[in-house]
Amino acid sequence: MIVPLPHVLVLAAILFSLGTGCVLAWSSNVIMLLIGIEIMLNAAMLVFVGGSCQWGMVDGQVFALMIIAMTSAEVSLALAMVVYLHRRRKTVDADEFSELRDH
Amino acid sequence: MKLILELILLLPILGSLFNLLLGRAPRRLGETVACGAIWGSFAATLAAAAAYDSPVTTEIASWLSAFDFKAPLVLYLDPLSLALCLMITFVCGLIHLYAVGYMHDDPGYRRFFVLLNLFVASMLLLVLAANLPLLYLGWEGVGFCSYALIGFWYQNPNNATAGRKAFIVTRIGDVGLALAIVWIFQLFGTTSITLVNQMGHGVPVSIITGLGLLMLLGAMGKSAQLPLMVWLPDAMAGPTPVSAQIHAATMVTAGVYLLMRLFPLIGLSVTVTSAIAVTGALTAFYGATCALAQRDLKRILAFSTISQIGYMMLGVGVGAITAASFHLIEHAFFKALLFLGAGCVITAMDHEQDVFRMGGLSRTMPATFYPFLAGALCLAGLPLTGGFFSKDGILAAVWQQGGTLSLGLYALGLLTALITAIYTFRMVFLVFGGSKEASSLSSPGSMGRAHHALPVVMQWTLIPLALFGLGGGLLNLPAYLGHGLLQQFLAPLGASGQQGLSPASELLLSGMAALVSLAGIALAWVRFGGDRRKQRVIEARQPARGVHAFLLGGWYVDDLYRLLFVRPYVWVSQVLWQRVDEGMVDKGFDQMAALLGRCGRGLGSWSCGRLYIYLLSLATGAALFIGWFALVAL
Repeated sequence: MIVPLPHVLVLAAILFSLGTGCVLAWSSNVIMLLIGIEIMLNAAMLVFVGGSCQWGMVDGQVFALMIIAMTSAEVSLALAMVVYLHRRRKTVDADEFSELRDH
Repeated sequence: MKLILELILLLPILGSLFNLLLGRAPRRLGETVACGAIWGSFAATLAAAAAYDSPVTTEIASWLSAFDFKAPLVLYLDPLSLALCLMITFVCGLIHLYAVGYMHDDPGYRRFFVLLNLFVASMLLLVLAANLPLLYLGWEGVGFCSYALIGFWYQNPNNATAGRKAFIVTRIGDVGLALAIVWIFQLFGTTSITLVNQMGHGVPVSIITGLGLLMLLGAMGKSAQLPLMVWLPDAMAGPTPVSAQIHAATMVTAGVYLLMRLFPLIGLSVTVTSAIAVTGALTAFYGATCALAQRDLKRILAFSTISQIGYMMLGVGVGAITAASFHLIEHAFFKALLFLGAGCVITAMDHEQDVFRMGGLSRTMPATFYPFLAGALCLAGLPLTGGFFSKDGILAAVWQQGGTLSLGLYALGLLTALITAIYTFRMVFLVFGGSKEASSLSSPGSMGRAHHALPVVMQWTLIPLALFGLGGGLLNLPAYLGHGLLQQFLAPLGASGQQGLSPASELLLSGMAALVSLAGIALAWVRFGGDRRKQRVIEARQPARGVHAFLLGGWYVDDLYRLLFVRPYVWVSQVLWQRVDEGMVDKGFDQMAALLGRCGRGLGSWSCGRLYIYLLSLATGAALFIGWFALVAL
């Protein structure tokens, strides 16, 4: 493998932190939240693929494919929810939806 | 014979079931079945009496059976139970007929007849039972019917309370009987009455004494003897036929019957027999003195019942089983008669029960007056009436016993006989004596009140009872007038009669009793007869004072019990209820629930609803965990 595994891991860690930061900082917008989650998922996927290349086993790549499939399903569902929420409340601010809170 | 015995018991049960299940049947049919069942039972008893030659034991079915304990459904017919069955079915049959008239406009007549029939069945079971558990079944059956019938008009809380009081007080005695039965089984390994009666000699006297005293406790509760007699006067809250049937003629004598039944066993202990005799004599005196001051017609009769049952106990205590059972049967006739007569009077007076507000009824209600007078003569023990012979038999037996105690009891019994004659004729003079104007003078409210027309059947039923009451003496004439039928009939019981007494001394005792009763009637005349009556009625408007109030209040025994038992009990229940249950248990749970609620609310306040705070805490937590693992790994 051309790229050494530690580099891949560092890149994945950076990507994951960015995604987390996006989720935390931009929580006022549901769409940005979703994007942050996507980035975090991709970072995890990168670790799988890197590991799979390092040890020459396909399991990691199979898992990456699974994550891609799951992500697409998740995004389509989540976007549908965003559209629904926007229709109901005319906003995509996540803090507006706090009905589950006590009192 | 087996079929006949079964019929005696089954007919009242079937009558009860008929009215219970076929409630929609026409009223006339229901009443006919109820009365027919009892008269059918009477006919079966007559057939049994005709076919009787020696004691019969019949097993109908098995009942309780566990390990070596067996209490099958066995009936036992001997002279004592046969005589009582005849009396019960006959008197109850007449009372049923009377009840048809008495309850003719009561909508609850069905419940009434169901209970009345069930009562007769239980009473017959009690009398015919061959073993103690079966007797106890009948014992409790009559107790339940008595409770349900005292509180028959339960919408009035007083009646319901009277029913409960009767139930609870008799229950205290029942505990004694139940313990005695268990003890007997433990001692003898059997509960058959005949077997137990034969086995008494092999047991130490102290144990017999214990058993006998427990039995006496049971009898005290059921037969309203000192000190458990407080329930009987209150039991008069029930309809009058109930008072006549249950609380005068039959049920209250069950205690006496129990002691007579087991006399071969408990009679072995002198302590027990003396205790029975003393209880009886004291109760007789107590009841008679209380009856002297009562104003309520039914309460007079109730106290007189207590007193007369005291005589029976006295008779049992001195071993005069024949005399006691003779008085039991005779008392059933004349006391039922007096109660039914009182019921006629009360109905006619529009439910007025105060004797001072009655008067002049001898002219307006002759058909009630003459039978009532016959009953009163029996109760007072006028010579040659049935009541005279039966009471005299008991007193003679007490005299014959000898000894200081017996002589004391005899004197007390004679004094009671005097008081009995006084209060009986006080009642007669107040209710029936005087003129009509006198009665309207005493109660201005009843001036314009017309006497109710009585159903004919109510007055007719008095006549046979009056005949049996007056002529009942023929059943058991003293030795100087021939021979006692009952005496011979009951001879196999081994009861000691008056054989040892010479005719001369017996005649002397009878003469004494006759004198006493005549003196009592004369005293009553002096105080309440003729014109003096009016004065007494005027005096009666003042509230009772002194001795009079003491007797009116039944020696304040009720108040004493209220102070000794009811108040502390109520206090303890109040503490248990308000302090322990509400104050500790309920409050404890409430506070625990409140604490948990506060915890939940405290935790709940963490959920602010802001998404980024959740995410931040999640991320921080995860970072901390990973950092911790990294630290450990390095």
